[in-house]
Amino acid sequence: MRDVAQDSAALERLRVQRSRLADRMRPPWWWWSGVATLWALAFACPVGSRFLPQGYRIWPILAAGVAVALLLQSGLARATGITVASPMSRHPSGRPAATAMIVVSVAALVTEAVLIDRRLIAATIVVAGLAVVAEIAAQQAQLRGIRQDLRAGGGAA
Amino acid sequence: MTAKLDPLIHPITRLSICGLLAAGADWVEFAALRDAAGISDSVLSKHSRVLEDAGYVEVRKGAIGRRPRTWFRLTAPGRLAVEGHLAWLAQLEEAVSGGLREVQPGARHGDGDQPRRLLPPLLGSS
Repeated sequence: MRDVAQDSAALERLRVQRSRLADRMRPPWWWWSGVATLWALAFACPVGSRFLPQGYRIWPILAAGVAVALLLQSGLARATGITVASPMSRHPSGRPAATAMIVVSVAALVTEAVLIDRRLIAATIVVAGLAVVAEIAAQQAQLRGIRQDLRAGGGAA
Repeated sequence: MTAKLDPLIHPITRLSICGLLAAGADWVEFAALRDAAGISDSVLSKHSRVLEDAGYVEVRKGAIGRRPRTWFRLTAPGRLAVEGHLAWLAQLEEAVSGGLREVQPGARHGDGDQPRRLLPPLLGSS
């Protein structure tokens, strides 16, 4: 006959193993540095596009930013050994943070546009800086949510 | 999803592999899976091949420089089978803990100090 005690202990063992897997989902320092640089670049775009000397175009910089973002994601997968699908679709605990990131992006870019129109450059730079900090905090919360889902089994167990 | 025992997943090592792949990650790399499951390279290779042959696991091989890398993920039928098996185990766990709670208030049955474990009906068929 099957050992009932061993069978029921299997779930407990699986919880420990999932916890170990979730702990691997911690990005290295270079990933955070790269992400912060990309956010800074993104929030510098409104100021940059207005004040760059004529002849400079913002699109090549944005294209390079997208390429670096893809490299960072690929590097993160190699470093952690885990790839995750979109937090919006597969990780319910990461959803509020992902939503917050979108809201912060839109709010910051609109505010910057308004401030630039009024020639309040110092205030624009402060808003951009705060937006970078908010995005990094939201990204940390999103990763915490993903780790939590990995521990809990993403609803599978 | 129906809770049912899957004999292919039931061995503890395969349950670990499938349970980890069903945790919510998309792809999991060989070393990450091995370390999380606490098994050796050869054991992981052997059991992952069985799961791949059964169509439960998809394997992607690549290389970073000269180092080969293997990635795993559950297929849709594999995910369904794992979720059913984990639901069956959860029922079993509940039944076992419920059975223990039932006998702990002092009721002893027959031969000595061992509390009686009540088996869930699902076990009757295995």
